[in-house]
Amino acid sequence: MLKSLVGRRLASQLLKGCAAPVRHASESAGRVNPFAGSEEPPKKFVNPFGQPSTETFTEPVVTESKEEREKRLKVLQLEADIAHQEGRRVPALEFFQDHHWEHVLTLPSRSARIKYFAFLWQIEMKKQSEQRKKVLKAEETERRVAEIKKEREENTHIIYGLGHTSMFLRIYDTTINHWQNNRLTRAMQFAPKMVLDCSYDEHMNNREASYAAKQLMYCFAENRQNDEPFDLHYCNAHMAGRCMQNLKRFIPPMLNPEFPINIHEKCFTELFPKKNLVYLTPHCREDLVTYDPDDIYIVGAMVDTVNNEPLSLAKAKRMGLRMARLPLDRYLQWGSGSGKSLTLNQMINIMLDLKKTNDWDTALKHVPRRKVVEWDEQRRNEKDRWAVGTRARKLNVRIDHLLDYEEDRRKVSSFATPKKVRQRTEGMEFKLDTWATGKQQKTQRQN
Amino acid sequence: MYSLRLLRKLRGVPPTNGLRELASQHKRRPQLGALSSDRLEELRTSFVSGRHELSASDWQEVRQSLLKSYKHISEHNVDAVILGVCSGPGQLSLAKNYVEFLRSRGSEPNAASLGRLLRIYNAAYHERLLSDEEQVEVWKICESLHKDHETLDATSCENIIHGLVTTKDHWRRAPALLEMMKVTSSPSIAAYSAISEKAFTEEALDKQEDPLSWRLLEEMALERKPPKCEVYLALINRLAKEPALVSAQLDRLLNFLERHEILVSRRVAERLLELAQQLPKSLHVSDTLLIAPGKCQSCQQHFQPVAISDEQFRMLSESFLERVLIRSDVFQRSTPKEVASFKKFVDRTAPYDCVIDGLNVAYSTGTKKSPKQLAKLVATVVSHFREQNKRVLVLGREHMRNWCKQSMHYVQSNASLFLTNNLSHDDPFLLYATLKSGSDTDFFSRDLMRSHAFHLGPEMKPIFRQWQQQHQFSLVTQTKTGKLIVKEPIRHRLVAHKVTGTWHVPYCEVYTPHPSDSFEVPPNWLCLKLGEQTPQEKSKEEAH
Repeated sequence: MLKSLVGRRLASQLLKGCAAPVRHASESAGRVNPFAGSEEPPKKFVNPFGQPSTETFTEPVVTESKEEREKRLKVLQLEADIAHQEGRRVPALEFFQDHHWEHVLTLPSRSARIKYFAFLWQIEMKKQSEQRKKVLKAEETERRVAEIKKEREENTHIIYGLGHTSMFLRIYDTTINHWQNNRLTRAMQFAPKMVLDCSYDEHMNNREASYAAKQLMYCFAENRQNDEPFDLHYCNAHMAGRCMQNLKRFIPPMLNPEFPINIHEKCFTELFPKKNLVYLTPHCREDLVTYDPDDIYIVGAMVDTVNNEPLSLAKAKRMGLRMARLPLDRYLQWGSGSGKSLTLNQMINIMLDLKKTNDWDTALKHVPRRKVVEWDEQRRNEKDRWAVGTRARKLNVRIDHLLDYEEDRRKVSSFATPKKVRQRTEGMEFKLDTWATGKQQKTQRQN
Repeated sequence: MYSLRLLRKLRGVPPTNGLRELASQHKRRPQLGALSSDRLEELRTSFVSGRHELSASDWQEVRQSLLKSYKHISEHNVDAVILGVCSGPGQLSLAKNYVEFLRSRGSEPNAASLGRLLRIYNAAYHERLLSDEEQVEVWKICESLHKDHETLDATSCENIIHGLVTTKDHWRRAPALLEMMKVTSSPSIAAYSAISEKAFTEEALDKQEDPLSWRLLEEMALERKPPKCEVYLALINRLAKEPALVSAQLDRLLNFLERHEILVSRRVAERLLELAQQLPKSLHVSDTLLIAPGKCQSCQQHFQPVAISDEQFRMLSESFLERVLIRSDVFQRSTPKEVASFKKFVDRTAPYDCVIDGLNVAYSTGTKKSPKQLAKLVATVVSHFREQNKRVLVLGREHMRNWCKQSMHYVQSNASLFLTNNLSHDDPFLLYATLKSGSDTDFFSRDLMRSHAFHLGPEMKPIFRQWQQQHQFSLVTQTKTGKLIVKEPIRHRLVAHKVTGTWHVPYCEVYTPHPSDSFEVPPNWLCLKLGEQTPQEKSKEEAH
């Protein structure tokens, strides 16, 4: 079954020649599905509110001719040179490469250039310090090796040692990758779906686009690593855009037909029915209360450090989709560090844990602890717990189950998990018909 | 950093033109690896202070110590760093000595070092006039910097401008360099100010229609770059030497301040006072305060009321909704349906006397109050206006329906009420309703409306701000007895303006390169009366 499905996918890819693998279920939208029974032809999902997508990624008005560009480049190089001579945070001219100058020419203002030069300067300084350290380290190693050699020569006894040999079979990265990919293909058939909406390219600058691509890569990786991955779909992915180009750099086999990633140029409203879609956006008012596996959750793939307009809200409103936000305020006390934005991979991890446990506290453990107010206190508590845990391990006593119920504030015993207060009074409610009848009701022993 | 600010601090000279010299300085964060000021101080005291020249071996020692102790100083940088340290006006000879030392070793100082040298010449020029040989030297350096490259970058241009303005013959080439600066960046305040200052000192101000200095000042002001104090001081010093120009030039200056809403600094105000004492016939200036709303203490006249013309008001109201609420995507702030229904509502129930921002008013005494208290506050404000028999519109959001029924019922029966979606921005609706009602309607909110002012664009922003100043009431607080303390709008103008021949000019304490929008009344004012004008100028003014 699996083979034939995979075969069908491959064949369709070869026929289409395009790079976007489409799932089996949505492929059948056009054809007759031999596996399904007699049902009405599946509806075609069209997006009536879809914005007309730009054909090519248009740069801001490029009207200067080649000579003007050359002239400008020369002046900017002179600017960098003079700034370096003055001792400002600009690297030497030899450090710059062609793609650096390409980027410099697109920057809009002098202060943007200053910041970019400062960034390159930091890289140059780091490289220089690394080289210095390398030289020192090389000397160290030489010295160490010479010492050992000397010892060995002086030593008259036999020297034992395994070197780098081992009796265990080495597990390579590719083995793990294949195993995880297999899990992903199974997830594509059976698991709930999740959409990453990549249509925000125009609203991000270059840096943000590359950060977004990195986070998308992490989403894919962490989804794959999980025991029960989602069926992840990257929708509205404009392949010529910066975000997707960067993603291609991070995941080179992305467009290969056999690679288990779903990338669509189409919108998610064309792939999935609208009534199942829920857009997760931080700008709306309704909290997500429970996880519904039939719903398809959409996360906007945007890094919004510069732009703080409610773009995802506007998009969801325009398409008439349901909206929700994570109930961060209800379960976490937000501290003053770095605002309430979460990265994409943190979102995916939260949704994965939510799917698995349906418990917000465990799911929201993926929010970085520095943003939560009790960071210092919790760290201290966790350190104490860690100490207790190590002692317990030394004495061979299990205490994990006890520590988890600390909040219950009941006396814990080492042999049974404490019940919550309500549970204890089960069987003790007042029943009028059997009261004072003398008959004993056998209560079921619960464990 | 090797910033002139730090170095000036070290010289012990009080900052000559306010605390901020370079425009971009307020953005610079403390940088890792940069020389901190105490190290510079160390360097300065050990090698540089009070000396006019050092021997070759001393210079070599200084160089080596710098190269060794700081990782980011290399052969390329060290010259400019050293010249940056000796940047005081009294250290010109020391700097020249260093350059000679470099030349004697066979290496030509690089472009950045020469630029720094020009800056030192400029600093010396502000203390004393440069001698002829020095001017020739400066010109030679400028030439050499210019000949290598066709178009120079912004920093070099600025350095050359600073060098050229020290000379008598060559400063007129400076504006061409300003144009060259515009290729890579917007010219800095320092560059503009240097040329304007020189132009004010040298130019024939009354002969031409549009002298260079005024042209540059206009350009600066249009770019929101306030000219430095030195520029005004140079003009005033020129007027002190040529009293015939006083009335025309001062008139022009005051009109300039009025048009661009610029506040001068205390130094300039004091200099004006001195000028008036020097020329009692043509100028009369006194330092004054405001007593009562809008009344000058010394001349007892009332300030001009701030009002925008009908034409401006019409432009504002027409472009408002488009620019602020809809912008590029109406869904970001509201929905098309809501905008349409609000427009209909306003058409039906207009005109009003006052439009109240319900949520802003409700939360003005604190955000943690209960809905009952919030609703009560809104009702109190409505009743305040009802007592004065005014028609009001209250704007809010859908969740206000769930507040205390009694208060909301009162509000609904005594005022018009419009509730927007919980996700929409209600401020643009507020301003739209006020504008639509007519030019007499006020609005009630504590919000400063900064984002809306920004989105209107640079042409409409001053008009909006004037209209806002005249029409915005804000709730200060509610006393224990339930009485409301309301801040009335300031009905008089807050910039330099003329009232029946007497100018009133506000001034601030120190010069800032980036003045923010102020909503407060400036505390210090100058009351200025220009003396008898010559009949020529009077008729020229009447002809305008």
